[in-house]
Amino acid sequence: MFMDWFGKKKSATIAKDRLTIAIMSDRASTGEFPFMEQMKAEIVEVVKKYVGVRGVRVKKEIEGDWEALSIDVELEPRG
Amino acid sequence: MGIVIAVISGKGGVGKTTATANLGLGIAMNDRKCVVVDFDIGQRNLDMILGLENRVVYDMVQVMDGEATVQQALIKSKGNENLHFLAASQSKDKTVLNSQKVKKLIDTLSEQYEYVILDSPAGIESGFEHTIEFADAAIVIVNPEVSSIRDADRAIGILDSKSQKVKDGGEVEKRLIINRIAPDMVKRGEMLRSEDILDILNIQLIGKVPEDRGVIDASNQGKPIILDKKSIAGQAYQRIAARLCGHQVEMKDVEISDESLFKKLTGIFK
Repeated sequence: MFMDWFGKKKSATIAKDRLTIAIMSDRASTGEFPFMEQMKAEIVEVVKKYVGVRGVRVKKEIEGDWEALSIDVELEPRG
Repeated sequence: MGIVIAVISGKGGVGKTTATANLGLGIAMNDRKCVVVDFDIGQRNLDMILGLENRVVYDMVQVMDGEATVQQALIKSKGNENLHFLAASQSKDKTVLNSQKVKKLIDTLSEQYEYVILDSPAGIESGFEHTIEFADAAIVIVNPEVSSIRDADRAIGILDSKSQKVKDGGEVEKRLIINRIAPDMVKRGEMLRSEDILDILNIQLIGKVPEDRGVIDASNQGKPIILDKKSIAGQAYQRIAARLCGHQVEMKDVEISDESLFKKLTGIFK
């Protein structure tokens, strides 16, 4: 009884917290960079000059004031 | 030139078509000339909600392809001569749309009507993109529920990057309708409050529509709920339509249902 009153978060509050985080991450990975697709294509072109490329993933990471783009270039399997 | 408003939601099933029908009729009831266009190609439904499914002869794709004129395809609403309706094609799929054809249709309609309201398909695919492409403004519909809100944010993101107005350096005005609010659940902390939704989506509110079982009864009959003056959802749509027509209407706190207000009042005298 006591826990119900003071310990348990209301589900609407949980929803707000979860949504805030999910939407922040959605926005970071899409809306902010309309040039993303073109940039990926150009990265593929450059790397391809030297080595086979399967795909590129770009992710924006934010931690406080610190922002970074992490770029993963997946190579063609050797063989 | 009339204003072109796209009604969007991202997620399906949140009441987009119902809202389009009611706002179109509501605007017409404010003595403005209004046309509602169903852009949900392959899943035509606005005709049913408006009770006009038996009058559809030509659809908007046939108009775009030159197989019929706009005048031939426009259907007059039963109850209000200010409202016209243009049906989606039921047989084709969304790939038939292209920017040039869509622009021509919208230009023609906005010459004849003060309000051109486009009912967008759910999702964020090409059919959606064509609906928002030439819109001046957008009405976003959400339910107070996580999946609806997240999907709406994605739809807004695409609106803000892909509409012609934005590409031309302008801005598409956006307003939010929160639909299907259950006051008792909000009160118990089991449903997101409007303030929280506005915070998360960072968008201006144009109206709150409470959950109302009468909406299904109305759609069964093809009579939009706004015609039922006693229904709480109908009244909400009346207020939103008036706001869209430039009238100042105070935002009603639908989370506080009249019933609970009544209980409170009687409580005072106990």
